[in-house]
Amino acid sequence: MTRRVALIGTSAIPIGRHQTADEEALQVLEHEIMTRLVSEAVRDAGVSKEDIQSLVFTLPRPYTRQKYFHTFLMGQLRLACRGSVMEVMGNGMTAALAFDKACDEILLGRADVALALGINMESAVSAAEHMMSSMRTTGDVDFHTSAGFTPIAWYAMDATRYMHEHGATREQLGSVAVKNRHHASLNPLAQYRKPITLEEVISQRPIVEPLGLYDVPPRGDGAACLVLASEEVARTLGRPYALVRGRGFFHDGSHQISDVPNDMIAFESARRAAATAYEQARITAMDIDVAELYAPCTIVEVLVSEAVGLVSRGQGARAALEGETRLGGRIPISTSGGLTSRGHPAYVTSLYNYVELAEQLRGRAGERQVSNACLGLATGELGNYNAALVHVLEAKA
Amino acid sequence: MTLEKLSLDSDRAYPPRESEFTKAFWSELGQGRWRTTRCTRCHRQTFPPKPVCPHCWSTDVEWTELGTRGTLYSWTRIHAAPAVFVAEAPYACGIVDLDGGIRLACRVVERDDIPLKVGQPVEMVVLQFRDGPLFAARPCA
Repeated sequence: MTRRVALIGTSAIPIGRHQTADEEALQVLEHEIMTRLVSEAVRDAGVSKEDIQSLVFTLPRPYTRQKYFHTFLMGQLRLACRGSVMEVMGNGMTAALAFDKACDEILLGRADVALALGINMESAVSAAEHMMSSMRTTGDVDFHTSAGFTPIAWYAMDATRYMHEHGATREQLGSVAVKNRHHASLNPLAQYRKPITLEEVISQRPIVEPLGLYDVPPRGDGAACLVLASEEVARTLGRPYALVRGRGFFHDGSHQISDVPNDMIAFESARRAAATAYEQARITAMDIDVAELYAPCTIVEVLVSEAVGLVSRGQGARAALEGETRLGGRIPISTSGGLTSRGHPAYVTSLYNYVELAEQLRGRAGERQVSNACLGLATGELGNYNAALVHVLEAKA
Repeated sequence: MTLEKLSLDSDRAYPPRESEFTKAFWSELGQGRWRTTRCTRCHRQTFPPKPVCPHCWSTDVEWTELGTRGTLYSWTRIHAAPAVFVAEAPYACGIVDLDGGIRLACRVVERDDIPLKVGQPVEMVVLQFRDGPLFAARPCA
């Protein structure tokens, strides 16, 4: 019988400013945070140390002084393993890949229990300095970076194009930020929890036109640990879990921009990866109850939600303004508060999305609980959604 | 046909690297010549220029002229800039569909008399910095 994977335990620190500047006398050490999280997640899952046979870490930021963080942590935990222990990297997709590769370890039979975990510390480095590195991650470092492109500049051009094609307004896009802040106000892990109004979103200073400060992600630090297990193991634990029902990946063979003109805002990779995941799960987009999208800007949430079929083409921004994607609406999206308010410690961002799905599908989301949440969707991406990784999870009691 | 050159009294903030292969592009650009590679097997142009055709993987490529005009597919104005670009901010960047079928992304030189909008006709220009050239688009009638 084909093995199946279950998400059985999670832990995370609230996203925020955790990194200490070099000159501070007392430093926050990444491994001290991470060992506590491992202990907490494993307790949440109800498994023991000896059950864990594979660990997939997200690559730490270059600002993390301890190199080879993954194997260093194995020593801190005195954890002996026969599966795999590695760090993965895929830019914005990093944490989704960590989850995916940890699933693989179980599917391949190398482990019955595996961890997907990591830490992203960057907030003590100024935005202008951090962008000196991040500007080299999107586009062609010689032909695009030389012009001054930044990662979110590409999303801004999505927004310009979307407003042109569909007549969407700044207010409609801004309503995504308002909605997500409301969700974040109910999430103890969120970085920004004070509710905001549409007027406040619209009046923020421009960052990359037409997007203002509240349309783009804040910078922050985060760390999380997920415990995955074979469904067999999950069943023996007698606790609710989230079963991975479908998985899809697609890379469109371009990086940031296609020199052959295409429909840039169709997010074709997200559409195709979702189609594969839905097919595996034998569901359609209509069956999804809650979605945690990798969407660094308001416009990205709109475009991804359209591409994966949660809202119809050209209607994503309107749907946000009219409350369709809000808690209590037809299809709640980013119930965690999303990347704009829950926060976006980029290399671990998707770990937080799986944490939120685990909370929702295990009925533990408190005030944010989507009633009868049965099927959840998570996405990860590269570039301007040139590649997408999509997972469908199902609640199992 | 050569591109108009706009002289700037500064160095490029983040100069592109040049290779044995791409130095032809940059040195020609400095002369106002606007060229890229085309595959001699499948005859498709690509941009930026590449020594291997991304479509059919042939290594037989030749230098050909690029369209000098096009339309603005999208644009943004960047206010929050990386450290080396802070002095230039805010600045406009955009995506251009060139006549001839190539899509590219570049800096956009703004004109007071023509506001930036999707579908705006643009012409390619050379930004002649002290240390070398960059390419950019500029709205035109």
